[in-house]
Amino acid sequence: MRDTSVAVVGLGVVGARVARQLTSSSIPVLVHDRRADLQKVTARALKAREIDSAIDVRPDETSVVVLATPSGQSSLTRRLVERGVSVVCTSDDVEDVRDLLELDGVARANNVSIVVGAAASPGLSGLLVAELASRVDVIDEIHVGVHGTGGPACARQHHRALAGEAPGWHDGQWITRPGGSGRELLWFPEPIGGRDCYRAELADPLTLQRAFPSASRISARMSATRRDRLTARLPMMSPPHAEGGIGGVRVEIRGSRDGERRTEVAGTAERTGIISGAMASAVAVAALSSNLPVGVVVLGASAVPNGAILDDVIKRGITIFEYVGSGI
Amino acid sequence: MKMLRRAIAAITLTGIAAAVLRIRGKGGVPPERGGWRELTRPPS
Repeated sequence: MRDTSVAVVGLGVVGARVARQLTSSSIPVLVHDRRADLQKVTARALKAREIDSAIDVRPDETSVVVLATPSGQSSLTRRLVERGVSVVCTSDDVEDVRDLLELDGVARANNVSIVVGAAASPGLSGLLVAELASRVDVIDEIHVGVHGTGGPACARQHHRALAGEAPGWHDGQWITRPGGSGRELLWFPEPIGGRDCYRAELADPLTLQRAFPSASRISARMSATRRDRLTARLPMMSPPHAEGGIGGVRVEIRGSRDGERRTEVAGTAERTGIISGAMASAVAVAALSSNLPVGVVVLGASAVPNGAILDDVIKRGITIFEYVGSGI
Repeated sequence: MKMLRRAIAAITLTGIAAAVLRIRGKGGVPPERGGWRELTRPPS
């Protein structure tokens, strides 16, 4: 390892878990949050060092920064990368992810990595596709399903997503469809079970298309109730919970093996904040170990040690399920 | 005025019909075979 300390910026539901997981792995952690009291309490509880500003990191002592702030991570990422620090981003905002994917040149010029999508979705979705990819010769289609939210910022983002424009990759070109359309009943691991899912402004297709350019169709849907759909274009009726309940990620790939059509499905069911925390921690450890390629990195890409990262995520308590049988 | 009332009534009925179609509908069919099992990865 080049360095042994990781800075965690944003100490909400995800960031606090990342800081806790890394300190429990004996990795020194620096913490920062715009809420000074929360930063102080977290630093004291974890015996972590506080930093006054998100860019107040020295590349000679901190080589990786995990951003767990609400959306809008691209400008901060650029400033950190220009200081020579690798960045692990947990953003799931489509515009933000688009901006982050544009930073490849800056990252290469500074010889560092930017991991775009190191949370549940995008993030775990890419690892699961990579895991299933070995079961087919060719991937034709990738379809992602997401259920639940992490902290309040994540809940607001998902509320907006249902009313936004859903990006999708369709026969070699980008398309947008209205959020809330395209209902499909998707089955998640228990206890979630079957949920009606709809197109939404989710970033998974953007990262998955980079990782799996040969796939001709990529889509992402999120679960929603009838009330969610009716109120999607209105302000949130009630403030979001401090942390959402059980969430889940599910990926389905369609392809062929030895000339036969194959459909493979994998997923997980756990609190979304726990999934995202485990994901960002595992990716930060991989970045700290210099196991990631230089430039913009999306999980699932062939140059990424997807298997090792997925193993680490499983070790951190996330159980991955595969669907066996037929008729899903 | 009569025309206006008819237009408002038509728009209202259309809206109600659209709302009913949007929020009601049949779900899918649950899987009848198969199920979830824990994914085991080969040791690295």
